[in-house]
Amino acid sequence: MTTLIQKIADKSRQLAARSPWIYRINAGSCNGCDVECATTACIPRYDVERLGCQYCGSPRHADIVLITGPLTARIKEDVLRVYAEIPDPKVTVAVGICPISGGVFRESYAVHAPLGQFIPIDINVPGCPPRPQAIIEGVAQAIAIWRERL
Amino acid sequence: MNILKIFARNLARGPSTIAFPFGEAWTPKKLRGRIKFNLAACTGCRACEQVCAGGAIRFDKTPEGLRFMMWHNTCVFCGLCEFYCPTKAIYQSDDWHMAHAAEHAYEMAIRELLPYISCSQCGGKTLSSAPNPVGVEPPFSAEEIEQQRHLCPACRKKAMAERGVSS
Repeated sequence: MTTLIQKIADKSRQLAARSPWIYRINAGSCNGCDVECATTACIPRYDVERLGCQYCGSPRHADIVLITGPLTARIKEDVLRVYAEIPDPKVTVAVGICPISGGVFRESYAVHAPLGQFIPIDINVPGCPPRPQAIIEGVAQAIAIWRERL
Repeated sequence: MNILKIFARNLARGPSTIAFPFGEAWTPKKLRGRIKFNLAACTGCRACEQVCAGGAIRFDKTPEGLRFMMWHNTCVFCGLCEFYCPTKAIYQSDDWHMAHAAEHAYEMAIRELLPYISCSQCGGKTLSSAPNPVGVEPPFSAEEIEQQRHLCPACRKKAMAERGVSS
């Protein structure tokens, strides 16, 4: 019986590894990186869904989180709440320079950048905004990390 | 490749998904990507630090010399540093492969040092920086640049006056 459960668990882990779901959190972004994130999924020229991943609407379904924006003071609590709702194991990708270092908003009274002091970040994709290909590269690295954690 | 070329190609062949990350991605030649720094050409004028929109470039005076630091994770790729650099010591490459693991965030930086040397003429302490070529007629030759690197500002001025250049 236990071997059967083990087998089912192994098989489901194997199947799940092919299709991580991506969730996007806007932590006060200027929308530049969000447009590039949407571009990677919606425009067939880039098509991040070839990697087996799909954007989902609910944090509870997510495996890989793309976070954009410098974490403004107003949005901080909501971002942390939504992030906590994402089930483990999760992989966090910081898209753009704002979540990594604060970018041009660094040292402002209104932002709590860098994001790394509140949320563990796994992959950084610098750029202002990054190219869609660079985001795909980051997602590909994130998928590799996620498969190890699963 | 401009938009008309892409349009014509798409009409002929049909649009297609680019192969990246399973193959190579096409990159425009003028893409403003990762910053490169050529220490040998740096005049130490600090114009790039002044104009840097993201505050990514920093110069520090240390006992060894003038330290140049540039962090890619704050760079907005605006290209102002390249535009204002008189010698094109700082420039942008078309490299955009910059996604990295978060633990390597602080390795995504350029750290260089313009060392202090003693002037080859008067022996005073000076920075080993390249001469600023703006307004110099006829332009500096490679040997002259090498000579000027080892001179202090006063001796440089003297050498320039002997060369027949005002200012």
